[in-house]
Amino acid sequence: MDFDLFNLVGLVVLGLLAGWLGAVIGIGGGIVIVPTLVLLFGLDIRVAVASSLVAVVATSTAAGSAYVGEGLANMRLGMSLEIATTLGGVTGGVTAVLLPESVIGVVFAAMMVVTATLMARKREESERAPLRPVRTGEVAAASPKEGWEQRGGLGGAYYDAHLGTLVTYRAQRLHVGSAVSFFAGILSGLLGVGGGFMKVPAMNLGMGVPIKVAAATSNFMIGVTAVSSLFVYFARGFIHPLVAVPVVLGVTGGAVTGAFMSQRFAPGIVRWILVVTLLALAVQMGLDAFGVSLGR
Amino acid sequence: MDADSRNQEKIRLARRTVQLVLRLGLALAVVLMMAGLAIRLASGDLTAQGVPLFRLFGNQRPGEDLMALGLLVLAAVPPLRVVSLLILWCRERDTRFVLVAITVVAVLLLAVAAGGG
Repeated sequence: MDFDLFNLVGLVVLGLLAGWLGAVIGIGGGIVIVPTLVLLFGLDIRVAVASSLVAVVATSTAAGSAYVGEGLANMRLGMSLEIATTLGGVTGGVTAVLLPESVIGVVFAAMMVVTATLMARKREESERAPLRPVRTGEVAAASPKEGWEQRGGLGGAYYDAHLGTLVTYRAQRLHVGSAVSFFAGILSGLLGVGGGFMKVPAMNLGMGVPIKVAAATSNFMIGVTAVSSLFVYFARGFIHPLVAVPVVLGVTGGAVTGAFMSQRFAPGIVRWILVVTLLALAVQMGLDAFGVSLGR
Repeated sequence: MDADSRNQEKIRLARRTVQLVLRLGLALAVVLMMAGLAIRLASGDLTAQGVPLFRLFGNQRPGEDLMALGLLVLAAVPPLRVVSLLILWCRERDTRFVLVAITVVAVLLLAVAAGGG
């Protein structure tokens, strides 16, 4: 396909937008990139998925770096869930050519509606739950603004700039998070999305992790998820550097900006951005599954 | 230095190490991709084509090799981050998470094998 300078600038702008959204709401941004590349740029969906997976890796790398520095991402929790999510990613990548995308699209749209509904109904009070006491085996932060994570366990604390205090938490029901992460990995491999739209609610609602920690940890682990299926697309020649590179450069800038801005957002705002995004994308996925595409 | 301070120092070291791996990897990838894209723009050839992983180098189009190498470096960053944490948790003797990290590395190796097969 022949591009011109206007197309390349458009790809960079698309990346900027996807990177910012991804960092702020904990998704990889791929869910914006794939439909745009297909509908606006007329690319093969597999090329779009491959480009999106590379962008997802860039988003996770850029935003994950910022989140780790702020003590928001829980690296032990992320690594624990990465076992399931990478297994799912490999499964999704390998089976991508076998399953009809319309079937996945219907399930995908239904799941996003359910998740958005659950997130919308979640009460604001749960974000302001009383702090749990620090137990033996955990460490007190050297600074009241410095987060930490439990050695040998899945607990931790983060500094919430909006509440102005250190919030402690303990992740529970790892099997719930792992099961959802496995399916998130499959969808990541099939559709080129990060899977954060499933992992963030699973950690938040299923495991009792504060939404900011869930979003940061999801962003931290999304890169590993994407890489597990990226090599399948890479090996088969679906990586087009002239498409992927401008998108990735834009995504990197957008992700860095979004990661720094996310700490200044109230949890409610972050959740509502997530809810609206999920519903809009569910409509799009549902239409696609029945062969109706907006703007094509 | 008490146990809490030592633990906190280990947490800081883990964060700094992970940040360093992520930032250096991303910076190197971005430099390679920008250089490749600049060469390509200067050539005036703006035709997009696929570059298979196992035929990454030796492309005829200007700047394609550098862009593809940048993409490959970027793809290597998350696995490197997993290995960095594996080493750090080994030093901390956090056995549970050493095993978790080893399992993730094993699955990633499986992914590479699946991609090549």
